[in-house]
Amino acid sequence: MSEAAEDDRAESIRMIRDSAAAVAPRGGDSKRVRALRFTDPGYDPAVLRQMGEMGWIGLRLPEAAGGAGLGMGEMCALAEELGAGLAPEPLIPAALSAALLGYADDQAALTPLLAGEALTLTAWQERADSLVTPGTPDAKRIFVPMAGGATQFLLPLREGTRMALHLLPAAGADLTIERTQDGGTYGTLRPDLSRATRIADDVGGVIGRVLDEAALATAAYLLGTMEAAFALTLQYLRTRQQFGRIIGTFQSLQHRAADLKIQLSLTRAGVEGAAAAFDAGATGDAARAVVSRAKARAAEASLRVTRECIQLHGGIGYTDEYDAGLYLRKAMVLANQYGSAALHRRRFLETAPEDEE
Amino acid sequence: MPRQLSTSPSETGSDAMNAVTIPRPQDLNGLDDESFRAVVRRFLAENYPPELRNPPKRLHWSENKVWYHKLAEKGWLCPGWPQEYGGLGLSPGKLIILTEEYERHGVARTNDHGIIMLGPLVIKYGTEAQKQRFLPKILTGEHIWCQGYSEPNSGSDLASLRTEAVLDGDHYVVNGQKTWTTLASDANWIFLLVRTDKQAKKQEGISFLLVDMKTPGITVKPIINLEMHDEFCETFFDNVRVPRENLVGQPNKGWDMAKALLSFERIFLGSPRQSAYALARLKQLAETMGVAEEPAFRDRYAQLRLDLDDLKALYGRFVEVLKQGRSLGPDVSMLKVFQSELFQRITDTMLEIAGENAGLLEPIGGNLNLNPTGQYIQARPTSIYGGTNEIQRNIIAKNVLELPG
Ligand SMILES: Cc1cc2nc3c(=O)[nH]c(=O)nc-3n(C[C@H](O)[C@H](O)[C@H](O)COP(=O)(O)OP(=O)(O)OC[C@H]3O[C@@H](n4cnc5c(N)ncnc54)[C@H](O)[C@@H]3O)c2cc1C
Repeated sequence: MSEAAEDDRAESIRMIRDSAAAVAPRGGDSKRVRALRFTDPGYDPAVLRQMGEMGWIGLRLPEAAGGAGLGMGEMCALAEELGAGLAPEPLIPAALSAALLGYADDQAALTPLLAGEALTLTAWQERADSLVTPGTPDAKRIFVPMAGGATQFLLPLREGTRMALHLLPAAGADLTIERTQDGGTYGTLRPDLSRATRIADDVGGVIGRVLDEAALATAAYLLGTMEAAFALTLQYLRTRQQFGRIIGTFQSLQHRAADLKIQLSLTRAGVEGAAAAFDAGATGDAARAVVSRAKARAAEASLRVTRECIQLHGGIGYTDEYDAGLYLRKAMVLANQYGSAALHRRRFLETAPEDEE
Repeated sequence: MPRQLSTSPSETGSDAMNAVTIPRPQDLNGLDDESFRAVVRRFLAENYPPELRNPPKRLHWSENKVWYHKLAEKGWLCPGWPQEYGGLGLSPGKLIILTEEYERHGVARTNDHGIIMLGPLVIKYGTEAQKQRFLPKILTGEHIWCQGYSEPNSGSDLASLRTEAVLDGDHYVVNGQKTWTTLASDANWIFLLVRTDKQAKKQEGISFLLVDMKTPGITVKPIINLEMHDEFCETFFDNVRVPRENLVGQPNKGWDMAKALLSFERIFLGSPRQSAYALARLKQLAETMGVAEEPAFRDRYAQLRLDLDDLKALYGRFVEVLKQGRSLGPDVSMLKVFQSELFQRITDTMLEIAGENAGLLEPIGGNLNLNPTGQYIQARPTSIYGGTNEIQRNIIAKNVLELPG
């Protein structure tokens, strides 16, 4: 990239961050987040619409398809900001569906989704902790995030060697909802194919890539969540006093904070590096390897940082009233979404190029 | 001891169990260890309400009082108290066996602060009148106690506590705030550490005071914890008048008395049972998730099993010390650190293998045995309460290793 192009890129990412902060202020608006927990649908439809208006749901779609035509660098910056503000709106699952609908060129379904007026969720998953899409016609689809707010579902269906895409209205669908730790929902869908319409012959070539982008964006969201949890922890270490001293002066706690900082920096390097690789055109195994490296790290590090956040706070960290728990619960939900650390470690070894040394 | 800990329930066939008769309470301490263990098992099988086994959350008084009253009726409520005060008069060794069997059976904790903390303290330091007044009411369940030590600004540094009690005629006037008071909303009495001398060195101006929670000026506000449970509370004192005779021991000697109680607590916090229970649940979860036979999981599991067995062995050594009638040193902190962190590592592994179930609010499929998220959250405070693990490590470094500084 030329220097001017790099500057443009940095500016575009900075702008995304600024506008994200207006919707989901970093570590600032836990009142909104709390008020939405354990409600139906678990997020604010008005905020999802706002996200649509900002062009975020179609951020990655080409402009010709009604999107913003931006890169993974922007997508990850956006997801990170939303993670820092714990925004419950299902932007990542919505963007995943937008990519498939864009590929299927179904403007009728795509337009309201991009506007944030309808929520189309892709019901691809048949087994826990998996990134493959078997497309089994009669299999129930599990762990559909925020399914309670869906207006329609996208169903990948195996037809011989092809993976067709069907659209199923959510109204009247056989859907069970379970609550998640962060106050959202997971849905289990038993699809009735007689009510579905076929909208694409074969999405087999893109669905893996689309899931990888969701995995990477989730890693970025977790990066934001752990940054916010870490900031809260540092603030506490700087102010809380015991034994007549600020607890941040205890060397054992300083070392713990230093270790967490290392994890944060590793996660950031992995996530931003993966996004840059995507934007530089990485495909196939090379792309899968960087996503897996980033998501494996983000999953483990986010759990660790949020656990330590509780421990370093003592008793107050164990109250629901204090925000430390919100970060812990968010990490619990997202660490294994779009693949656990174990899944991604395995996949990394299968896809990473041999070490040259 | 470690061998007996790992005995599976099936080894006590029902025939063997039926052959056991339960002696009178006053004869229990005279049994040999093996017979005593068999008696405890029989007692639990006969008396413990099955629906209260292994509750997923700490039970409130309304839920556990059935068991409290049952224990009281059978004379088993206060196993550690001397018989002259209505206890079973068990030796430390027998007490450990009893605790092990309770834990193994999944017996829920009752509102037991009166039984395990206040009672022994009154027996050791109280006047005859205090003994006559308070001990029988614990035995009947009339007085339910809670522990008011921690304050918003005095946790690890408990000795800095500021809730003050000022003598005014025949009464102490108490002002201040306690916090993290477990089950204060169930209790009608609270034992407090209060500051009675502001001039003295901080440990030397603290007294131990018993307060009727119906006294005007006390406000209790439940706090919702991370389990979404109203288990602990904030407790406020606004000009609360407490009769002078409710002070236990000498004025300004409360710190030493409270500390003397804590070392026995620490061996219970180091009991391997919590980890053993969690490890069995981890195995069930691994089977459900289909990873139990994977080499990566087996290696992890083997490591946790070894850690558990080593913990049991170390625990057994501390139990031996108690059995010989000796008291425990600061090195018992090692147990608390290792057990709580082992419990946490087991539940970390649960989350790692649970896939998206790691985000569910409720147990998987409603099965309490498959509750990775509940266990993960429950494991968090074990390294905070009873002295944080950082404080325990400080104790090991300073008082065991005698490192400088
Ligand atoms: C579930 C639960 C139940 C409880 N029940 C009761 C109860 O019934 N009654 C009661 O009185 N209290 C109770 N407590 C309070 C408990 O004793 C305190 O939380 C604990 O002592 C820690 O104090 P703190 O919360 O103020 O944390 P702080 O002391 O503020 O500690 C904050 C962090 O700093 C660290 N730290 C502090 N000092 C040092 C040091 N010198 N070196 C290194 N690190 C240090 C701590 O380890 C911790 O990580 C309960 C707590 C919990 C979580």
